[in-house]
Formats: sequence, structure tokens, C-alpha cells
Amino acid sequence: MSPLLRPAAVLVAFALAASACSSIGSDEPATSTTGDRPVKAGGTLRVALAEEPDRLDPTLARTLVGRTVFSAMCEKLYDINEKLEIVPQLADGLPTISADGKTVTIKIRSGVKFADGTMLDAAAVKTSLDRHRTLTGSARASELSSVAGVDVVDPSTVAIRLKEPFAPLAAVLADRAGMIMSPAALKARGEDFASGPVCVGPFKFSSRVAQDRIELVKDPNYYDADKVKADKIVYEIIADSTTRFNNLRSGDVDVIDRPAATDVDALQADSNLRLLTSDSLGYQGITLNLANRDGVTKPPAPLTAPYAGPVASDARVRHAFELSLDREAINRVVFRGKYQPACGPISPSSPYSSDAAQKCPPHDPAQAKKLLAEAGVTTPLKVSLVVANTPDGRRLGEAIQAQAREGGFDVQLQPTEFSAALDATDAGKYQMFAIGWSGRVDPDGNIASFVTTQGSLNIAGYSNPDVDRMVAQARATNDQAQRRDLYGQIIAKVQEDLPLIYLYRTVNFTGVSAKVGGVKMYPDGIIRVTEAGFTE
Amino acid sequence: MRRYLLRRLLESVVTLILVTMVVFAGVRALPGDQVRALAGEEADPAALEQLRHEYGLDQPIPVQYARYVAKAFSGDLGTSARTGLPVADTIRHALPVTLQLSAFAVVIAVLIGLTTGVLAAVRRRTAAEWAANTVALLGLSVPNFWFGLMAVLIFAIAFPVLPASGFVSVFDNPVESFRHLLMPAVVLGSGLAAVIMRQCRSAMLEALGADYVRTARAKGLGGAQVVLGHALRNSLIVVTTIVGLQLGVLISGAVVTEQIFVLPGFGKLTIDAVFTRDYPLIQGVVLVTATAYIGLNLLVDLLYSVIDPRVRVGGAVAQ
Repeated sequence: MSPLLRPAAVLVAFALAASACSSIGSDEPATSTTGDRPVKAGGTLRVALAEEPDRLDPTLARTLVGRTVFSAMCEKLYDINEKLEIVPQLADGLPTISADGKTVTIKIRSGVKFADGTMLDAAAVKTSLDRHRTLTGSARASELSSVAGVDVVDPSTVAIRLKEPFAPLAAVLADRAGMIMSPAALKARGEDFASGPVCVGPFKFSSRVAQDRIELVKDPNYYDADKVKADKIVYEIIADSTTRFNNLRSGDVDVIDRPAATDVDALQADSNLRLLTSDSLGYQGITLNLANRDGVTKPPAPLTAPYAGPVASDARVRHAFELSLDREAINRVVFRGKYQPACGPISPSSPYSSDAAQKCPPHDPAQAKKLLAEAGVTTPLKVSLVVANTPDGRRLGEAIQAQAREGGFDVQLQPTEFSAALDATDAGKYQMFAIGWSGRVDPDGNIASFVTTQGSLNIAGYSNPDVDRMVAQARATNDQAQRRDLYGQIIAKVQEDLPLIYLYRTVNFTGVSAKVGGVKMYPDGIIRVTEAGFTE
Repeated sequence: MRRYLLRRLLESVVTLILVTMVVFAGVRALPGDQVRALAGEEADPAALEQLRHEYGLDQPIPVQYARYVAKAFSGDLGTSARTGLPVADTIRHALPVTLQLSAFAVVIAVLIGLTTGVLAAVRRRTAAEWAANTVALLGLSVPNFWFGLMAVLIFAIAFPVLPASGFVSVFDNPVESFRHLLMPAVVLGSGLAAVIMRQCRSAMLEALGADYVRTARAKGLGGAQVVLGHALRNSLIVVTTIVGLQLGVLISGAVVTEQIFVLPGFGKLTIDAVFTRDYPLIQGVVLVTATAYIGLNLLVDLLYSVIDPRVRVGGAVAQ
């Protein structure tokens, strides 16, 4: 796992070999779909996942891998397309927003049936959204915290009342918070919905054996059933990347999630297989502890020994550290050139990306030393860096250590078991932590929780009233150009204060048998199989 | 006899309680708890606390343990923290996989081990003995994961004659079951086959030099009859003991084999449960394993006491 990530993101980062399409090292260009080859009806598509999904309940689900399974059986009010634009799925058109920005009206697609044959209507949407907001243990509650209430306007229209204007709402409803569950099934199963989930989707839940497989079968009630080709999808759990790859080669599975970076070249070279790639929405980097003394979400406070030091107290020292790092070299040495260097939290493929959002400081160890001299610190300056205790995590740490030495830093690596690292860094017991984020469609999801004062993921203890204000402004306006500009300014501010040093961005990889067509993968990394099947 | 039985039962219960207590505390001593592992990157501290409260993880460990034991007594092993599925169902699906794999592995190990062992003993100082010894050495020294990967590369990818992964129960489709389990069983049984071969060889060498074999030969019995009917039959006592002793090793080897061949067995379940810090599942797995182990030991002890009355008398005296 990567240095920088929160758990699931970590898995994504490392298991995914990342790279720009051009850097994969083959003449055949990599794509995000299996193309338009005709696909015949019938057959069982076997998809190997890298991890066991957690509960198949959209309200309670937390793992990224679970989203791939949901994408085949639980549609959402909105979805994203390959250009990362929000498009309607169960909604009939994009939402309309009131002048004050506090009421969002959504028309529901008509004539849509759940897998149990009951009808989708506004009441069903309200039931699901209310459950997401209020069920104990809901993983969606914080995503929908801006929602004050949901009203049924008529059988095909809901109005969502907001506490304050919240532009990212449509993006939130394009993820699990927008999944609508059958009210009849919810009533019948209650909190045990995960053992027999019923939604609207091209496939419906059939069976699950823990640690082994999840089986879905084609849903004849699906509103677009003609597009669905395969009769059945079997998700198998194959945690080991080599085993996953071998099973694809032997034909025992048809699609594999996240082939390892080391297998990417072999996968591309094999004429029986195809590689799908897409940019990732997330980032990897280093979080620096500026003022997280009492724990994440607690008010920032000056650090105490052994975590206090010039890194926390002097922005010049943090800049010196960043200047000593060579992002290109890290990508080349640690990730075989398969990732992309990154200097900000917004993917270049996002409509919210701008020159300001992608601005990158140069690699300049001489300038780094100069800054350290200005700051009056004795070199080499000792700093500690927590890295994930994995081969990739340690290699990244060693690369950072070697580069920072040139800039005048003596980096003490602390390889730590990942869960333990998260516990320690949440509690503020660290100086620097190599961690990252899997990414969200709306830039707010990549920024707000990390850099706003007392944000839920702000383990740096960073606080800047200007940043807080601009994040709130960007949430409050639906004008894309204005939001793009605000995010550019926020990133410039963050780069000035440097609570986070963004380093690189992964690329999503999926391996597919050449016999299979219709598989799609967008930057969210989800393997979409709605129209997938075996080629004619 | 009744006192002896009671004492052994009591000891078993105490052992079981101790094992579960150690595991219960042990998994909680691992850094990062099940909520942290489950929450992944979406680790809003307030949500984590809420989940910990929901799972009762904010209670003192003795309280958590008491609750667990109370439920376990009524047959409720809880639900998996990760999948939300009942632990008992999950274990029920996994157990037959490992049992079928292990049984097949033992059959293969015995077949290979006995054949090569007998051959090595009978054809002493020939190429056959050398070959058998080499096979045994390889079986002992090649790690399962490497052997497994090579087998997949050769028999599933280069010459696709066997499936690379998956499980079919022998009761559902014996032919497909055989095809799916052949590679994993050979890989798993290879170490045991080597042990059996060496033991069989030395036992056979001893037997072939024994008086009763010389007598059998003197009576004019044929070579095969002497080797198989007399020498091997006596050597089997040693071999049987070895197989019994090695069963535990075999089942722990199934952990690796199940990972390589993606068999949804007990070993894979255990490893995955530990990695995801799935407390209820880890506890369930340990409880079932410990109960089975203690139960078997109890049975064997009781059988000893039936066969050899001195055991039970000794036990009574010791009291």
C-alpha cells in the first residue's frame, strides 16, 4: 500500500499499476473500454476481485471494491460518464436547483421496476435517502449531512431540502448515497438487507459465499434489459495478484480487477488478453503534522515533543522538503514509470482541473538547502516519516529518504502496519505520513475533509480561514467556472502552507480476456459490466 | 471410569475456555481494530466511534468476552464484521472444502509415498532408489507456494488441461471435483508423500532383513508376495502412525494451497479473517478448530483407557 493512503485507497494505489497510457510500454494503446465489438447474448462472465466486498447494503457499505458489485445491481440517481460528467441514471434528467440553492428537485425515471417487481417511485427514493441519512452505522450519513429533509412532491418527483447550498450533491448521489433500494425488501429484511439486496439494476443478487463468490443473474425487470447480454455475473475473490493474473491467462476468469504493476507488461503483450486503463481520481503524497496534537477533528494546537519541530512550525522548512523531492524520479524508480507525477488533489481529467490546480514546484535541492539556511535550522534536519509496512511503501520511503538527504534532511523511516499507522496518525503521533486518497468525482471530496479546519480527515491539523471560506464558497455555487477558479485558489493556498505534499497519481488497471467485450472502466475505477458479454 | 471421564471432560472445557480467552484478547491486541479495517479510507472519527459502539467494542474486553460466550453457548457465533453474513454459515461452507482437499491429499501422498518407498527399499542401490530419494527430497524441500504456482503455469496455462482455480464438491460432480482438486491435492500432499516414502523405505529395509521374511522366502513364496504380503504389511504400522501425526501439518499447509488455487476453504477463511480483523469470524474459526481438536483428543484418550485399563487406573491414582 502506498505511502499515502487511507486503507482502501492504499490497496487501490498499489495493486493498480498506474501509468499514463503512453508509459505502459506497448505499441497498442491502452483504453478504458473493450471497444465496440459485437457481443452475443448469454454466458457467465467471471470477474476476479482483489478483495472481499463488505456488506452489500448501499447504506452500510464502505469498501471501494463493493462499488464494482453494486454497479451491476444497484443503480443510482446519477452516474458519471467517461468524461467525469454527471449523467442521470434513475433520475430523469439533471436536478433543478432553486434560486437560493437550498432545494434540489429530482424527477424520477418512469416505468422502472426493482428486481422484486415493485415500482420505483418518489416514495421509494425518499425511503432510501432517509435510511442513508438516519440508519445507525450508516456510511452515507456524513455524505448527506447537508440534507435537511426529503419530500415527495408527486409520485415521480422528490425535493431535497438542504441546510445550505451544496454543489457536490449530484456527485454524492452518483455514488452509493444515490442508490435506491426496494422499500418492500427493506421492510422484509430490515438491517439484514445485505443478505438479499434488491435494487434496480441490469443484474440482480442471486447468492453469496463469504470469501469465495457473489453471483448475480440477469434481471428481466430491468428497464434497459435489451442492452444486457450476459446471463450471469460471478464475482470471485482472488486476493493474490499473481493468482488473479494466472487465472485470467488460464481462462478460469474473464476479467480481473487491479493487475499488479509487475504484470502489466505481460498482460499487454499477451494477444489473448487486453488491458483497460483509466486515470485515477485520487492522489498519493505526504501529509505533514502541523498542529494535530490532540487527535483529528480536535482544535489545532502547537505540537509537543517528539513531534514538534521546524517542519510543523516553519513553512520554509516544508517547502525545502518538497523542493528536495523529484516526483519524476520517484515514479520511475519506485513504480517503474507507471504512475503519473502529481502536485495537486484534482485529476487532470476532471472538468474542475485548471493550470492553477496542476501547478508544480520544480525539483531544486540547492534551493531547499538555501531555505533551510534562511529558516536557521541545523542540517541535516532529522524528521520522521511513517510509511506503510509493505514492499511498495518501504521502497517509496527509501526513495524519499535518499532524495531528501540531498536537500539537507535526515529522514527516519517508520514502516508501520497500515491500520496501526492510521490509528497513530489520527491521534497526531507522527511528523510526516505517506498516505493518499482514492478520489471522488467532485473535487470537494478530494479537498474539503483534508484541509478545512477540524475536517474529518484533516490529520495535519491544518487551519487556514481563507481556505475554509473558499471551500464553503465552492460548495455553495453551481457555476462550474467559478468553482474551478476557487479550487485553483485553494490549491495555491495549500501549496503555500503545505500541510500536504502531493506526489503522484495512480492509474486504474483492469485485465480482460480478448473473448470479452462491452466492459467499461471510468476514472472511478469501477468495472462496469452492464453491456458486457462474450464477443461473437 | 466415570470419575476419569468427568475429569477429562472438565479439563477439556477449561482448555477450551483458555484457548478462546487467549484468542479473544490476542486479536484485540493487534494494531487497528475491525472497525478501522472496515472503514477503510472513509474514516470519519465520529462514524468510527458509532460503529465501535454498535459492535460493543467500546466495552471492556471481559464484558465483550462474556457476551460472546453467552451467545456462543446458544449456538450464535455472530455475524462477520466484513460481510454481515452469519459466521456459522461461513464456516459451514468452508469446512467441507478443506476436508475434501485434505482427504484427497492424503490419498495421493499415501499412493506416491508407499510406491516410491517400496521401490526404493526393494531396488536398493539402483537408479530407482536414487530417483525415489530425489523425489522425496524435492517433496520435502520445495515450498508449496512455488510448487503450486509452477503447477498452474504448466498445467493450466502452458498446457491447459486442468483448471487454475475453484472448487467443485465431490458430492455434486465427482469428475469436475477430481479435475479441480488434483493439482492442489498433489501440491498439498507432496510433503507428506516424501515423509511417507522415507519412513516406508526404512521400515521396509528393516522388515526385508527380518527373520520372518527370510522364512517366507525359504518357504518358496514369490517376490511380490513376500514384499507386499509380509514386509509391507508390517511396515504399514509405522506409516499409519506417521500419517496420523502429520495430519495437523497437512491441514496447516492447506492455508497456502487454498490461497494459490483459490479454494474457499478453512485456511483461506482464517487468513482473510485475520487480515480484515474480522473479530467474530476469527473467534468462530478458533472456536470450531479448538473444539474439534480437543474433542478428538478426548476421544483418543477415552479409547486408550478402554484399550489399556492402566491409563484409567493411573488417572484415578493420580487424583
